[in-house]
Amino acid sequence: MTREQLEAEGYRLAGTVEQFPERIGKLLRLGAIEIAVFKTTEGEIFALENRSPGPRGGTIVDGIVSGEVLYDPICDWRIGLADGAVQAPDRGQVAAFPVRIVDGDVYIGRP
Amino acid sequence: MQQHSDRQRLIVVGNGMAGINTVEQILKLAPEAYRITVFGSEPYPNYNRIQLSYVLEKSKSIDEIILNSREWYAENGIELHTGTTVTQIDTAAKTVETADGAIAPYDKLILATGSKPFMLPVPGADKEGIVGFRDIADCETMLEAAGKYRKAAVIGGGLLGLEAAKGLLKLGMDVTVVHLLGELMERQLDPTASHLLQQELELQGLKFAMGKKTEEFLGGERVSGIRFGDGSTLEAEFVVMAVGIRPNVELARESGIATNRGIVVDDLLRTSADGVYAVGECNEHRGVSYGLVAPLFEQGAVLAKHLCGVDTAPFAGSVVSTQLKISGVEVFSAGEFMDATDLTVVRMHDEWRRIYKKVLIRGGVIVGGVLVGDSSQSARLQQWIRTGAVMNDEYHAIVMGTAAAPAGSGAAELADEEIVCGCNGVTKKMIVDAIHERELTTVDEIKLATGATRSCGGCKPVVEQILKLTLGDKYDSAAAKQAGICDCTPLSRDEVVAAIKEKGLITTKEVRYALDWNNKEGCSKCRPALNYYLGMIWPQEHADEKDSRFVNERMHGNIQKDGTFGVVPRMYGGVTTPEDLRLIADVAVKYNVKLVKVTGGQRLDLLGVKREDLPAIWSDLGMPSGYAYAKALRTVKTCVGSQFCRFGTKDSMGMGIVLEKKYERLDMPAKFKMAVNGCPRNCAESSTKDIGIVGNEGAWEIYVGGNGGIKARLAELLCKVRTDEELIEIVSAFMQYYRETGKYLERTSDWIERIGLEKVKAVIVEDAPGRKALADRMEAALEQVKEPWQEILDNPNLRERLFGEIRVPAVGPKE
Repeated sequence: MTREQLEAEGYRLAGTVEQFPERIGKLLRLGAIEIAVFKTTEGEIFALENRSPGPRGGTIVDGIVSGEVLYDPICDWRIGLADGAVQAPDRGQVAAFPVRIVDGDVYIGRP
Repeated sequence: MQQHSDRQRLIVVGNGMAGINTVEQILKLAPEAYRITVFGSEPYPNYNRIQLSYVLEKSKSIDEIILNSREWYAENGIELHTGTTVTQIDTAAKTVETADGAIAPYDKLILATGSKPFMLPVPGADKEGIVGFRDIADCETMLEAAGKYRKAAVIGGGLLGLEAAKGLLKLGMDVTVVHLLGELMERQLDPTASHLLQQELELQGLKFAMGKKTEEFLGGERVSGIRFGDGSTLEAEFVVMAVGIRPNVELARESGIATNRGIVVDDLLRTSADGVYAVGECNEHRGVSYGLVAPLFEQGAVLAKHLCGVDTAPFAGSVVSTQLKISGVEVFSAGEFMDATDLTVVRMHDEWRRIYKKVLIRGGVIVGGVLVGDSSQSARLQQWIRTGAVMNDEYHAIVMGTAAAPAGSGAAELADEEIVCGCNGVTKKMIVDAIHERELTTVDEIKLATGATRSCGGCKPVVEQILKLTLGDKYDSAAAKQAGICDCTPLSRDEVVAAIKEKGLITTKEVRYALDWNNKEGCSKCRPALNYYLGMIWPQEHADEKDSRFVNERMHGNIQKDGTFGVVPRMYGGVTTPEDLRLIADVAVKYNVKLVKVTGGQRLDLLGVKREDLPAIWSDLGMPSGYAYAKALRTVKTCVGSQFCRFGTKDSMGMGIVLEKKYERLDMPAKFKMAVNGCPRNCAESSTKDIGIVGNEGAWEIYVGGNGGIKARLAELLCKVRTDEELIEIVSAFMQYYRETGKYLERTSDWIERIGLEKVKAVIVEDAPGRKALADRMEAALEQVKEPWQEILDNPNLRERLFGEIRVPAVGPKE
């Protein structure tokens, strides 16, 4: 797939895989939207809206990453990186953005 | 020492778990009844043979599996002869003779000689490199072999063989388990469970040669391989035989006592000779020799009561249950386990999650069960089998996992006399009484007080339920759970710290793998805790792991609820200058700070700073971080003191600044606050600080363990010192002792109540060389600290990693 084709599908080039450190969130500003991008130990990249699902508000980009789970730094809820769903016993949802990796380039799509 | 010539003489031959457990029970029932002498061939006091596999895995040291220390024998007036083998019994004269020719008379004699590994009588079995797995010496041989050789074979796919195999695998050997039959643990598991277990172990790296009959060991002086009945061969430089055990009957047989496979005993454990008993693996009761610990302890209980003249029901055999003690594999089996025409079977086999559960019912009564992959209900199932419970809808739902187990109900159902810990013969009533009488609040305390959970640990869930039930509202789940530092591990803080030191682990990942975390990536509780412990233990070697830091400590600011940060620069001792105040004001204006707050720690907080502005604002301030976000020294609050105050007797500001500069930036278990006062009026509020210092004419008073937070606590006097040098040494030693023994996130107020002020005084005040050593370690730790704001400004890679942002236009670029 070429960059043109991906952009036609609404994806935007975010950088190269190497630009994203393991287990430390990277803040990506897509226009006015803040997206927190996470690379797992396994090298998978996930993108979530940078907004805590908890009642106290705040951001999630600086949370602790464990496998494909993010611990919300404000309320310590567990958020699935793949789908943005808050795991039991808590409930909530963070918008998840699709990610495509093509030739070492990372593209972020529309949720 | 009193002479007890009127007491009967009891000799115990065999210093293992069965013999000593019997002695322990005798001492409880009738401490004055016997003069006790114990002979043991091994050079150790009684140790937990069940946990040898842990020694092999290196998850425990030999010291940690010792059950009765030499002091215990001495305290109970027991004469212990280790490394001494009894060679002859004269049942007529009632004496025993040892290998060195000594003769000792007895009134009662207990044979607890145990068993030995059965060595296959095939050609080459005497070659070097072929051992059994039975005692500490075998363990040591295996540990040594793992360092020299690579290819290992374990003959025997039973419980012991699999534990040995897993241990060798963990030591880095290439291990093949050779089994005569087609199914592992065929005496405890049905074929489905066996195959599931084999799959699990294959995933962990074990290899299997099933249905292979060992016919010959190949090689020269040392073994090099095995030839099987079908003509195939297996390369092996080291072989462990675990095909079974043989009761040690030679001594009894040669002394004319009736033996069969084991030493023959009746229901009161009496042998054919008057006054001679046999307990444990060495005996044979109604045709059965038991090889597991619970039945042996049941025998011990019967024998102890009999010897003490207490009424007892005779030993009528045991329901044998088995729990595989190898990490990562949950296998449990009790009672009957094979299908039969007169049985009703409840069966669940989930091939995707690799879980198998089976409950066997005869005439409505639960008579057996097998659990693989999920043994969380093993204690409950075991209890139903032992009590002959009738299957009902509720039990069915619990064991099949279709209903949540009602909390505590299992414990409530238990009768007072029901044995909870089969290994140590502890009843529910004994646990409940101990909880009441000694005000116990944790499972660990119950273990110390009663022995329950001490051996295999399988009854821990039930003991915890009993604790919960007994304490009711007073039950503190946090205290009860303190065993494991988080849900990823059952290990306590002390166990983790000891293992880090012993195994030389220096990254959080190494800790999680070496100590077998069930969540290999850790969680938000253990990751920051391990990062702290590693930095504390290895100040030079451990590299701080930013990804395991909580947001505030990773970004070096206090995150606020709108995602902005608070920035607090250092203001040593709460003392500043007009120039610094002007600079702070200018920076606050430049970055459009939302609010400037004077903090409780005598400094200024700039609130509402954007994340991306943090490095720039630090650069403009040019001041060190105040660590207002950290598990570290926050501030040293001071009063005006002798520089200006007419009451001041000491220079509190000067001393506060010295202390803050000395100890800033060093990681502590939790946040740490100090205060220095120039006189006893205490304007800087020493009584609510981790260390509060009060100046007097000619002396400093040092108060510790104060807290003005969630749980208020007044600081207590640690000591008084005369000079500034003494003050600093005491402060250094205190802080270092807290760093080395505190649990992560445990404030000194909780820590000091756990350790005890007297103990802290003994370590810090009374032990001068110890204090010096602590202060020296503090200096070594302080050498490693760096100013974090400047470090991020000076290191473009680190700055990019933590603060770098990517901006993408919402509309794709047109090219």
